[in-house]
Amino acid sequence: MKTLLLKLEPLIWFMFGQGIMIGTMLLTGWILVLGILMPLGIVDPMNLNYVRAQQLFTTSLLGIPIAQLLLAALLVLPLWKGAHHVRSLLIDFGGGERDGIVGTVLYLIAIVGSVMGIGAVAGI
Amino acid sequence: MSTTEKTIVISRFDPDQDEAPRKQEYKVPCDPSWKVLDAVNFIKDELDSTVSHRWSCRMAVCGSCGMMVNGEPKLTCKTALDEYGDRVEIEPLANFPVVRDLVVELDGFMHKFESVKPWIKRVKERAEDMENFNEKGTYSQSAEELGQFKQFSMCINCMLCYSACPVVANEPEFLGPAAIALGHRYNLDTRDEGTEERHEIFRGEGTVFSCSYANECSEVCPKGVDPAAAVNQAKFGAVIDWAKGLVLPRAPHAAD
Amino acid sequence: MAGPAHPEAMAPPTPGRTRTAPPQMPSTWWSSPRIRTYLLFDATGIIYFFVGFLAIKIVGQLGEGPIAWQAQMKALENPIYIVFHVISLISVIFVAVRFFRLFPKAQPPAIGPAKPPPGPVIHAGLYVVWLGLTALISLALAGVIL
Repeated sequence: MKTLLLKLEPLIWFMFGQGIMIGTMLLTGWILVLGILMPLGIVDPMNLNYVRAQQLFTTSLLGIPIAQLLLAALLVLPLWKGAHHVRSLLIDFGGGERDGIVGTVLYLIAIVGSVMGIGAVAGI
Repeated sequence: MSTTEKTIVISRFDPDQDEAPRKQEYKVPCDPSWKVLDAVNFIKDELDSTVSHRWSCRMAVCGSCGMMVNGEPKLTCKTALDEYGDRVEIEPLANFPVVRDLVVELDGFMHKFESVKPWIKRVKERAEDMENFNEKGTYSQSAEELGQFKQFSMCINCMLCYSACPVVANEPEFLGPAAIALGHRYNLDTRDEGTEERHEIFRGEGTVFSCSYANECSEVCPKGVDPAAAVNQAKFGAVIDWAKGLVLPRAPHAAD
Repeated sequence: MAGPAHPEAMAPPTPGRTRTAPPQMPSTWWSSPRIRTYLLFDATGIIYFFVGFLAIKIVGQLGEGPIAWQAQMKALENPIYIVFHVISLISVIFVAVRFFRLFPKAQPPAIGPAKPPPGPVIHAGLYVVWLGLTALISLALAGVIL
């Protein structure tokens, strides 16, 4: 499994890079409004009621479903940042020997989550 | 000049007698102008001639005198003893097997160092490629081209970066900061044609992708080489070459 | 986390003639502020995992119809979720600040004939894009624009 990971390392690193860069940039506003301001009532949650949420998340520009693409990136990319950093954290605490199996499991979780995330966006 | 007495704690290990490294304390009258290395030399010369340590130039170019000073890798000839309190702990470089006292085993490092092929590689040798030479028979290179890699060629192989790196501590295969920085230095050199081959090495067993960008190597580097920059630039190059390799055939490698 | 490094760390390709003491990690490595910052940075990976899967659940509920969506929005008012999201926001800002600082020097000095802009310009640019996108997304979600 270590060999397989080694072969895929450039791809994994690429996904991680997108996760930390794009994921971070997209998550900030999402967490701020949906996770904090709306639940606290500082922003009226009715501003994102079912009808408007449907509209907003299917906004397209010049025929490109831009909102859905951004939403998919927001759901999928952080998982790759998460998987990669949890893996290196575990290595730093002496898990270099078990890295093959641990890394594989973490990236499998990210893959499953990515499929779920794309499914969720497609299901809107 | 007035001296202050400091307790210098040296990590001792004699493979013939000691099961494991032990600590030994020395009371040393320290001159305010001293570097940490001066205190170790004083112990060796005046107090205990059995203490073993490496040093040579005393001017931060030979890279021999790297040691852990209060838990941080330091070039001891460049580190003022005054920066520390009355008790200074000196240990051999972390993450290296210890040969004796403050002397560490270098062969592992040398092996990693060589494995990135740190020399100029050409597909065609000079005799076959005269049109690319200038009249003096050398490959010409502008100051700007030199500037792209000069920083990475300032490494003195003191190995402090290997002691600071959390990945080196846990992944023995990892090529490590200095070796990757040196390989990257040749990749940036306009005279060199071995980039693709080195990128393959970078994707191999000692993969650059093991680096988790702790940036510790650059924090401890006494020469401002910034190995972390090199390693992470190398990742970028290794990914581009990898993606190219998926669609384009590979060119033959230059001879070593 | 004091104690030994991997026993094979920096081992020679063939064993030397004398016995060596095994490699040690500095006994104070985790107490250094720099290392703590770095470990925290990696540990935000756990937060990203949870935030990501929670966001997937939220969007999934939107596909389940108006009642499910309303219930989901109500559920987010649970203090546990709010506290988690506050921690997440702090994590995301921390990741952005540290990552944007380290990002410029990891750029190659040249990509073919093209040269990336100087480090400080990249650094500032990242902040502009990050804050811009955050403002845009926040205003869109809050119903001020779009």
